[in-house]
Amino acid sequence: MSGLGQEVGVAIVTGLLQGCVYALVALGIVLVFRASGVFNFAQAEFGTTGLFAAYAALTLWGWSYSWAIAFGLAVAVAMGLLTERLVVHPLRNASRVTVLVGTAGVALAAIGIQFWQFNETLIMTMPRIVDSFFLVPVIGAPVTVQQLITLGVLVVASLVLALFFRSPAGLTIQAAQQEPTAAELVGISVRRVSMLTWAMAALLGGLAGILSGPNLTFTAGFLSFGAGRALLPGFMAAVLAGMRSMPGAVAGGLTVGVVEQMGTLSFMIEVPGARAMLLFGFLLVVLMVKPHGIFVPRTAVAA
Amino acid sequence: MSDATRVLPVVTDASAPPATPAATPVVEQPWRPSRGGWVARGVVWTLLGWVVLALPLNVLSPFEVGVTDVDVASLAVIYAIGALSLNVLLGYCGQISLGHQAFVGVGAFASAYIVTNLQLSFFLAVGVAALFGAVQAVLLGAVSLRLTGLYFALVTLAYGSFAQETLFGITSLTGGEGGKPAPRPEFFTSGYRYYYLCLAFLALVLWIDWRLTASKAGRAMAALRENPRVASSYGIDVRAYILVAFAVSGLFAGVAGALVAHHDEVIVPSSFDFRLALLFVLMTVVGGLRSRTGVVLGAIFFALLEEGALVSMFRLEGFFEGLLGLPTEFVSLVVGPVLLVLTLTLYPGGIGQQVAPIRLWLTGHRFDRHAGAVDDVEVNDVRA
Repeated sequence: MSGLGQEVGVAIVTGLLQGCVYALVALGIVLVFRASGVFNFAQAEFGTTGLFAAYAALTLWGWSYSWAIAFGLAVAVAMGLLTERLVVHPLRNASRVTVLVGTAGVALAAIGIQFWQFNETLIMTMPRIVDSFFLVPVIGAPVTVQQLITLGVLVVASLVLALFFRSPAGLTIQAAQQEPTAAELVGISVRRVSMLTWAMAALLGGLAGILSGPNLTFTAGFLSFGAGRALLPGFMAAVLAGMRSMPGAVAGGLTVGVVEQMGTLSFMIEVPGARAMLLFGFLLVVLMVKPHGIFVPRTAVAA
Repeated sequence: MSDATRVLPVVTDASAPPATPAATPVVEQPWRPSRGGWVARGVVWTLLGWVVLALPLNVLSPFEVGVTDVDVASLAVIYAIGALSLNVLLGYCGQISLGHQAFVGVGAFASAYIVTNLQLSFFLAVGVAALFGAVQAVLLGAVSLRLTGLYFALVTLAYGSFAQETLFGITSLTGGEGGKPAPRPEFFTSGYRYYYLCLAFLALVLWIDWRLTASKAGRAMAALRENPRVASSYGIDVRAYILVAFAVSGLFAGVAGALVAHHDEVIVPSSFDFRLALLFVLMTVVGGLRSRTGVVLGAIFFALLEEGALVSMFRLEGFFEGLLGLPTEFVSLVVGPVLLVLTLTLYPGGIGQQVAPIRLWLTGHRFDRHAGAVDDVEVNDVRA
C-alpha cells in the first residue's frame, strides 16, 4: 500500500485509538446526562485532575505506577463527588443552562488549581505504563502499547458498565433517573444514586486522563483545551449517541476520532487548524441532519 | 455631576424591570430626598466621576497613575464592552455562548486588517469590525434557531476553537502566530487618551444597550426568555428577535475586539482561547445577568484581577504568593470560579444585586436594602 490509501489507513488506525479516549470521556458525559440532565463541562477536567495527581505521585513522590494510578483515580472520583455536592445538588432546581455554567466553573477552578500547584514546571511529561511501540503490519501505522492498553480499558469499561446496568444496583440507577419521585417511593435514595453516578463518571474521566496523558506532554487544562483536548470530541460522541446510549457513546467516540484524524491527511496540510474545522463542520452536520444522534437504539428514540 | 452621568450606567434606572415598580405604587407623592440627602448624593457622584475621569489623568489627584496602570484601566473598560455583549445573549435572551472569544477575535482581526493592510482610518475600522462581528453572530444565531440551549452551547464551543485555529490561522489575513500589528489612531497613541476613547465607546454601548432594553425589542426578548411559546402566542416573532439579540451582541463584541486589538497593538490568534470565553461568562454571571451596572462592575473586577492590578492595589501579594504560593496571574482562575459557584447557588443577583441599593440611592430613591433581590440566576434554556 502506498500514497493516499496508506495515509487514510494510518489516519483510521490513529483515529480509532485516539477515539478510545473520546469514548471514555463520552461515556462519562452520557452517564451524567442520563442521571441529572446536565451537560457536564467538567468531565474532561476530572481527567486532567486525575492525571496531575498521578503525575505528582509517580514523578514527584516516587510512588509505584499502580499506586499512582489508584491515587489519580481516587482524586478524580473525589472531585466528581465534590462537584455533585457543591454545584450540582444545590442547583438541582435551577435551569439546565445554569448548571452548565456551574460545571464550566468547576472546570475553570480545576484548571486554576492545576496552574497554581504545578507552576514551577509548566510543561510536564510522564512515563508510559509500557514504553514501546510497533507498526501495524500492512498499514504501517505506529501504535504504542499505551494506546492498546487504553483500548483494552475501554473494552473492559464498556463490558463492566453493560453488566452493571443489568445488576440490581444498575437497575436502581436507571429507575432513579427515569422517575425520581417514584424511585424515592419504593425506597431508592436518589441522592445516593446521584453521587454514585457522578463518581462513576469521574472515574471514567480519570481513566481517560491518566491513560492519554503519557502519550504527549501536558499542561494545565490538558483535556479541556490543551494538547489532548477531549472535551469537545467527547461531547460530539455523546451527541452521536443521542446523549443516552452507552454503546452509542463508544461508537461515537471512535467515529469522532477517525473524522478528526482526516484533518491530518496531506491534502489538508494547507488548511490551518484542519482538525478543529472538521470537528465544527461534523458537529453542525450531525446537529442539523440527525439531532437525535446516529448510534441510538430504536427504543431509545421512541422513549 | 453632568460628566459622571454621561459615563456611568445610571440611566439604566428607567428600564431595570423588577426593582422600581415594587417601591413606587403605594406612595402618591413621589419620595424626594432632603436637601442634605441631595448634597450627600452629589458628593458621591463627584467622587465617582473623579475616579473614572480625573484619576487616570493625574488631575486633582494625590496619586501618580502610570501608563501601564492606565492601560489596565482601558482593558477593563474594553472587557466591560465584551461582557455587555455576552449579557445581551445570556442575560436578555437566555442563549449561552461559550465561544465569545471568537466574536471578539473576529472584530479584532477585521479592524487590524483594515488599519494595517488597507491603511484606512481607525474609526472606519471599528465600524467595519462591529459589522463583521454582527454578521458572524447572526450566522451562528441562525444555527441556534434549530437547537436547544444545551446543544447550542456545544456549537459555540466548537465554533470558538474553529475560529481560533482555522479562521485566525489564515496567515494572509491574520499574520498567523507571528501576530498582526494594529497601530493606534494618531491622536490616541498615548495610553491616557486611548483610555478616554475606550470610555466613550463604553458610553455608546451602554446607551445602545439601554435603548435596546427600553424598547419593544427588549421586552420581546424578556418575554421569549421566560417562555418562547407564550411569547410567540402574543405575536412576538421569536426567531427574528433572537437574531436581533445575536446581531447586537456581535456588534458590541466587534467593537470590543477592535478596541482590544489597538490596545495591545499586536494581536496573536492564541490570545483568543477558551479561557477568554470562560472569563466573559464569569464577568457576566458574577456581575449579575441583566444588570448593566453589575456586568460593568464584574468586568472591571475580573479585568483588574486578571492583570494583577487588584492584588497589588490591596497589597495582597504577600497573602497570595507568600502564604498560598499562588502566582498573581492565576488568582482570577482560582478566585473566579469560586465566586461563580457562590453566585449561582447563593447570590443569584451577583454584583448587580449587591450594588442595587446604592445605585437606587444615587439616583434619588430611598436606600432600600432589599432592592434588586433575585431568586434565581434565570438562564432559561430557550426551546429546551
